Amino acid sequence: MIHDAQMDYYGTRLATCSSDRSVKIFDVRNGGQILIADLRGHEGPVWQVAWAHPMYGNILASCSYDRKVIVWKEENGTWEKTYEYTGHDSSVNSVCWAPHDYGLILACGSSDGAISLLSYTGDGQWEVKKISNAHTIGCNAVSWAPAVVPGSLIEQPSGQKPNYIKRFASGGCDNLVKIWKEEDGQWKEEQKLEAHSDWVRDVAWAPSIGLPTSTIASCSQDGRVFIWTCDDASGNSWSPKLLHKFNDVVWHVSWSITANILAVSGGDNKVTATSDHYTRFAMFLEPDEN
Amino acid sequence: MKLKEIERTAAQAWSPANNHPIYLATGTSAQQLDASFSTNATLEIFEVDFRDPSLDLKQKGTLPASNRFHKLIWGNFGNGSPESSGVIIGGGDNGVLTMYSVHRILASKSEPVIGQTEKHSGPVRALDFNPFQSNLLASGANDSEIFIWDLNNFSVPMTPGAKSQPHEDISVVSWNRQVQHILSSAHPSGKAVVWDLRKNEPIIKVSDHSNRMHCSGMAWHPEVATQLVLSSEDDRLPVIQIWDLRFATSPLSQLEGHTRGVLSVSWCQADPELLLSSAKDNRILCWNPNMGEVVYELPIRSQWCFDVQWCPRNPSVFSAATFDGWINIYSVMGGNLEAQQKTQADKISSSFNNLDPFGTGQILPPLQVPEQVAQTTLIPPLKKPPKWIRRPVGVSFAFGGKLITFGLTKAPGQQMQQTYPHQVFISQVTTETEFLLRSRELQMALQSGNLLDYCQGKIQTAKLPFDENLWNFLKVNLEQESRSKLLKLLGYSKEDLQKKITSCLSNGIPDKQPLPEANETNAAQPDQLLINSSDAVAAVSSSAFFDNLIPQNISTLEIPVTEDTDGLISQALLLGNFESAVELCMQAERFADAIILAIAGGENLLRETQKHYFAKQKTKLSVLLSSIVQQKWQDIVCTCNLQSWKEALAILLTYSKHEDYTQLCDMLGARLESEGDAGLSNDACLCYISSGNVERLVECWVKNHETSSPLALQDLIEKVMVLNRSIEMLQGTAGPAPGPVLAERITQYASLLASQGCLAAAMDYLPRSSKELLIEQLRDRLFHAQGANVGDQQPPPFPYTRVNVGVIKHTSPAAKGGSAPEGAASKTGPRHPEKPNYQSSFAPSAPSQPSVPSLFTPQPVPAMSMTPHHVTPPQASTGPQTGVYSRGSPYPQYNLGLVPAAISGQAVSQSQPFGPSGVRPVGPAPFPSQPSLPGQSMPMTSSGVPPPGPTVFTPASVPSSQLPAACPLPVASQSPLGFSSAPFNCPMNMGYPQGGPGAPSTKPLPAASIPPPPTAAQESWTDPSAIRGGLQKKKKTRRKLEDALQRLECLYEKLREQALSPAILMGLHEIARCVEARNYQQGLLVHTQVVSSSSFSEVSGFMPILKVLMTIAGKLNV
Repeated sequence: MIHDAQMDYYGTRLATCSSDRSVKIFDVRNGGQILIADLRGHEGPVWQVAWAHPMYGNILASCSYDRKVIVWKEENGTWEKTYEYTGHDSSVNSVCWAPHDYGLILACGSSDGAISLLSYTGDGQWEVKKISNAHTIGCNAVSWAPAVVPGSLIEQPSGQKPNYIKRFASGGCDNLVKIWKEEDGQWKEEQKLEAHSDWVRDVAWAPSIGLPTSTIASCSQDGRVFIWTCDDASGNSWSPKLLHKFNDVVWHVSWSITANILAVSGGDNKVTATSDHYTRFAMFLEPDEN
Repeated sequence: MKLKEIERTAAQAWSPANNHPIYLATGTSAQQLDASFSTNATLEIFEVDFRDPSLDLKQKGTLPASNRFHKLIWGNFGNGSPESSGVIIGGGDNGVLTMYSVHRILASKSEPVIGQTEKHSGPVRALDFNPFQSNLLASGANDSEIFIWDLNNFSVPMTPGAKSQPHEDISVVSWNRQVQHILSSAHPSGKAVVWDLRKNEPIIKVSDHSNRMHCSGMAWHPEVATQLVLSSEDDRLPVIQIWDLRFATSPLSQLEGHTRGVLSVSWCQADPELLLSSAKDNRILCWNPNMGEVVYELPIRSQWCFDVQWCPRNPSVFSAATFDGWINIYSVMGGNLEAQQKTQADKISSSFNNLDPFGTGQILPPLQVPEQVAQTTLIPPLKKPPKWIRRPVGVSFAFGGKLITFGLTKAPGQQMQQTYPHQVFISQVTTETEFLLRSRELQMALQSGNLLDYCQGKIQTAKLPFDENLWNFLKVNLEQESRSKLLKLLGYSKEDLQKKITSCLSNGIPDKQPLPEANETNAAQPDQLLINSSDAVAAVSSSAFFDNLIPQNISTLEIPVTEDTDGLISQALLLGNFESAVELCMQAERFADAIILAIAGGENLLRETQKHYFAKQKTKLSVLLSSIVQQKWQDIVCTCNLQSWKEALAILLTYSKHEDYTQLCDMLGARLESEGDAGLSNDACLCYISSGNVERLVECWVKNHETSSPLALQDLIEKVMVLNRSIEMLQGTAGPAPGPVLAERITQYASLLASQGCLAAAMDYLPRSSKELLIEQLRDRLFHAQGANVGDQQPPPFPYTRVNVGVIKHTSPAAKGGSAPEGAASKTGPRHPEKPNYQSSFAPSAPSQPSVPSLFTPQPVPAMSMTPHHVTPPQASTGPQTGVYSRGSPYPQYNLGLVPAAISGQAVSQSQPFGPSGVRPVGPAPFPSQPSLPGQSMPMTSSGVPPPGPTVFTPASVPSSQLPAACPLPVASQSPLGFSSAPFNCPMNMGYPQGGPGAPSTKPLPAASIPPPPTAAQESWTDPSAIRGGLQKKKKTRRKLEDALQRLECLYEKLREQALSPAILMGLHEIARCVEARNYQQGLLVHTQVVSSSSFSEVSGFMPILKVLMTIAGKLNV
């Protein structure tokens, strides 16, 4: 059973992961599909894969029920493990790379309730920060906020390192969506978003399209998909809007790159794409066949 | 991992799965007493809130009960009403069955007990709700007594049939999970009876003949109707038996793991492969009943757990009630067992209240709990991933509007239901059909160049007058004599005006007073300089007035010499004192006379007089006159009433010089814009269109128009592109690179196009010349996203600072040779040629884009790690520059930023590479004079693991000021040509290490499998570069050579891909030899042979340019 499939930054390679413990990479340019790597190293079903930004090379992270997170790297056409993280006590359910502006940082959410943040510090070294008890019973999904410098859309004076506020959202078995914020190098719970009545299966922070509004989509075991929006820069007041109630579990939500379409996949085996421009949530359409 | 705990000796029941929030009901357990010997009974309801990380449960309702409980269950009965949370049924001593309304307990309302019966004769230990009909309840007590209750009529029970013989206790009753009329009961004797309620009789008895089974628990399979498990409480047979009623003679299998009798079992409804059991060995195990293996174990506890239950709603969670008086809630997903035992031990002690219960006069010491486990015990999660965390379906978006879906029962768009468990679908999502349509129209217009028709169409379909106007302006910009046409658009046509003047003159204006007073006709106008058409008439026709005026004054000449003004003027004139005469006239306000005199008095005087005149005359028209006469266009622009911006613009169109025109238009636009009024801002847009200032147009537009929706953005981009094109036509060159605001919109637009799958179109809109980071980033992404479709184009520079990840490895050449088999090379082949391209390009871009933060501290990169392709080895010796992580590159020119450092000469110590190296699998080198090429791993080397031997390029210790013949080809071909338009401002004249003819080609070569001829051929392509080296000044050939560079890339591409046939390779090899020998004639001959003997498509990309190069070289004799 395939559990995740993600395209790289350019949309030319597809990584899939599966119950058979494998991670596979395909070249899918121009409609082709050539298997270019079959990565073995996990000892359990692999739940998710995530591509890093190409400025870090060809880097793929995968997480598995075997409690491990593996960072793979392509060198000379060969994919190899470059880092393995075994700091979780239970299944690692979600991995997500931070916006490339922050450096190479991976957030990992686990069924042990913790979220780990793995930062590459150079020379093959990784620094680990762990938020224990982020979600009781387990964290199912993590998703980073886009890199936006607070207060202004104007570019920082050159040479000066922009003062990013790092945030990410997580969803878990405590039915909560939480927003985490880094303050003085420490991760703190900034917001607790309550609306779901069962496990939050996925969260997706919408890509920034230059508007001051932040938007998060969350979906749940309870069949509900919520859109959370926050208009103020401080990030304090989030308001939920029920996008739709499905009859079965909703497993995945994914924003399009331009953040105007939300794709939702549920246990009733339907994929629904929802178009919105932050104002209308009504349109449902089936993706075109290609 | 323990999640919650509560100190109760109690029977427990979870709220049903559909209930939110999750509750746990507890009822004081019968047959267990604590130290208080109290016989009170309480029913309590706790909320199990996992949002709260503490171990406590929140009590939500409590109720004193008449009986203690043997069994407690919670059902959905009555859940139709919104406020209901179902009912709890308690089985007590003496055959009492009590039904409670959960809602009433939670709301502390009166009469929470909604039903009670004492039909049973003994303690009721067995209860179960029918999973299909929430009003049906089965209960079992002593003497084989089983009742079926309809909760709607709680007084009269039914029986499933005649009592089984011999009479014995009922320990469990359970409804089948699939077939609603099937019920089973289990007895301590080890027997289980299955009842069919339709037949009202037992249909099968299940019993193993060992007689050692002592049934404590029973459960139906959640999915397979014919399977059930029985657990045995007997210490001699501490097993769980799995029975299949289709083969009911003996158990299907037996789960053996407990060492003492099993007390309870619970089958997970969310995953039938998980079965919980608790036993007298103090352990709680979770089994995979299919495999018969233990997949989870909760470490040994101090006390038996007499009841385990999965939480129906939260599948990872179960509760366990123990004889030591605790109910604990655990997760099977592993984690820390934390410091739980300590708190319990404390509470056990304190339950004695530290008093002196036995009257010994000594206070009891705190209770020691010898079994206490380590404070933090890691419990591994379920060995087998539970069903509920396996994501069966998924969806994700990718660049270019691609939607990836998997796990669907049908492919998107397909009607047929079919399972594709192992397939991933990639579909293209297009949502903005109208946007795409309009975008296509625009693109076609831009490509065909037929923009006039496009504008005309826009004018006709424009809905708003402003829009129409705007398109009119844009259209006029594209036409010849745009200025006069613009004037016409503003309402001023030369022909019309001529007509008006003619009619005006024939109506006797000359009779009126001279010019200064003419403005009296405009008395109704506002105060400020407000130019209207009649003013313009006056302005333009002023000279005509004078023409007409002069003849009228002719009469007999009479020269007054009196002392009055006339006389003085005459006298001054007689003496030729024009200055005084003019002054006198001015004083007498005889302005016409003054001007006429001033004309005679020379240019200076005229100018002075004009100035005086305008200073004195403060009429409405005079300001206009003054501005026009004195050519102070800026004054007009800065002071005119904004309502008459059209007139101001007309003046600019008529008078201002081309070089001032745009600036003045912009100023006017800026004034209009600064008013903040939407209407004026629209007018400002017209000004910017007139001036052709795209950036300002966009800035102004976005202030007043929403551009976030696709169509609104399309509106803007249409205008921008048309205006841009008109400027290109006007200036003959591409317009200036877009500023930040426009760049943002263009990027937005291109992103939108890309998101609809139009990658190539999106690319077209992004100007190559732009240095805007956003545009560069999107160009890079679009380029690579298109895969091979843009193979002949030069990849744009990589707009990010590269960061190398991972430990830099040092691999020996031999190892490398072994570990980079041909298979690997060919497998990744298709992507490879392009991959290094963009890898390489970031290096120079880093310094030029300081806004990209480099978050990684520079780390020393050992020289060994340097790529084999180019001149980077000295990087090792240049501290600051190592912040940029260079990666392998086939295009060394991009790394020119590093070149100055490369000349340090230190790196020579690293170089021993170019002797024939063992890694080179190619046959004998065809050119003994040349060193063999670096190893076959080269083309794949990104960074980190090059073979140390041949990796390092040998820079000669003496930098040569002359460009060497053999320096890397693309470098050589670019540098002498200056190539200032290239995005890399590299110090071209720094020179390259003189490699001599033996210098290695730094081009990446195909892997080991490439045959020798192309190798040699590539080697000597360094010679054409030498040719170009000598051509610096030849401007004419320069262009050709720039082109050549691009075409040669095509050749290199093919060589890397090994896409060329042996015949062509041989030919290239031959040509190379000729070039090396400077025998271009021969080279051309060979060239012709190759071309004539090969398929056109194979060689068309590069052969023509080789010919051009050789021809040039031959002519110049280099």
